[in-house]
Amino acid sequence: MKRWKRSLALPVTMVAIALGFMISLQAQTQKNVSAAEQISAERLTKMKSVLTNSQAKNTELQEEHQVLLEQLDAARKKVGTDPDLLAQIVKLQILDGTQAVQGPGIQISIDDRKSNLPIGTEDLATIINTLKFAEAEAISINGQRIVASTSIVRSGSSIILVNGVPINRSDGIPYELNVIGNQEVLLDYFSKLEAPNLKANGMAVSVTKKVMPIPSYKRAYVFEKAKPLIPQ
Amino acid sequence: MQMDKRERSLLGFASALLGFLFIILVKTQGATASLLPLPDTSVPSLIQTEQENQLLVAENDKIQLEVGKYTQGQSAFTLANQQLLDAKMNAGLVEVFGEGLRITLDDSKRVATEEDDAQLFLIHEQYIRGIFNALWNGGAEAIAVNGHRVTTDTEVFCSGSYIQIGGTRQMPPYVIESIGDANTLKSALSFYYVWFRLGDLQDQNGITRKVEVLSKVVIPAGKLHEYHYAEPFKEGT
Repeated sequence: MKRWKRSLALPVTMVAIALGFMISLQAQTQKNVSAAEQISAERLTKMKSVLTNSQAKNTELQEEHQVLLEQLDAARKKVGTDPDLLAQIVKLQILDGTQAVQGPGIQISIDDRKSNLPIGTEDLATIINTLKFAEAEAISINGQRIVASTSIVRSGSSIILVNGVPINRSDGIPYELNVIGNQEVLLDYFSKLEAPNLKANGMAVSVTKKVMPIPSYKRAYVFEKAKPLIPQ
Repeated sequence: MQMDKRERSLLGFASALLGFLFIILVKTQGATASLLPLPDTSVPSLIQTEQENQLLVAENDKIQLEVGKYTQGQSAFTLANQQLLDAKMNAGLVEVFGEGLRITLDDSKRVATEEDDAQLFLIHEQYIRGIFNALWNGGAEAIAVNGHRVTTDTEVFCSGSYIQIGGTRQMPPYVIESIGDANTLKSALSFYYVWFRLGDLQDQNGITRKVEVLSKVVIPAGKLHEYHYAEPFKEGT
């Protein structure tokens, strides 16, 4: 058998050592990754169960809420509350947003996933302002009702908070605004004043006329510093 | 070049080893990538549901309390009246007072030269809106601008030489008054870019950005508009 060339011995040894080192490193990484995969799977299951529990609780609370509202309605009817007074309360609650409403209006969908300039809080505030200018009677963005005290702020680099609640969606159309009011006026103002800017930034915008519900404002109004000037 | 048997088998072994390493590497890469997307998707919806749950619990307790009052035979008139007052307060239709801030914004008195951008010497609608946003975020309980209460319907819309606020024409100076914890409101302002932007414009172009802490601010009542399209939501319609 032919003898090995002496000159080859050193490089081959070095390559062998390097390979050995790589194999052990890879084995170690593989072990770590398997462990991480397991942790991640566990975390995912836990997170899912927490979310499922939370959602189940939410459904339960919603049902309870509905039952209570019916009870309240029945109790009011029983004692004969003045219907005019109740109508006045409802009107005020449409203004403060605590009353869920329905009616004709427009639904605006904005998709900024392909835009190189994703939508910002100022863009959303401008759109909402224009809709108010067009005399919108109720507005919601991704299910958050817009009221006077609504703030639209960024949290971290990508989360947008409306009423203190994150509105980002993991899939589907990223932003959906439901607006109740005069359909022609809303459509006209939005199409002329807002849609062109959004489209120019590469966003997909669609508007449809619809009759739809808009949810109520879910936060509680708190007055700690403000007191009525005329005691009530 | 001819390779002998041993060289060939060594080369074969090395190739097999390399292939093995490569496959493991690809697998590891795939696993690492799949670890990433989890937190971004479920966390916001979890926070959202949890927050909604908290509010529902509070709301349900409130209704339960009210139902209780009815069944205990409290005067329906008193109860409905209390509810009317609460709704008026929430909607901003009650004149209120309390500690807070007064912010004054005004156009620059300096005349812009030809080289200047004249827009940088004026107060624009987005600055006013930006300040509202920062104040609400800082827990403001009521806001008025130039004596007009800011309610859900209030727009702040630039219409050329004036700014339309809540259907009225407003000219500078714009005096924004708000009720709330003055320290919190002040720090909320300095949290947002608009406040620094106005500070720069004040230093460079002479616009006015003034803030005063007041122990008593009076904020007028807003107006209720008629609703022509929105009606209370009814289940099953």
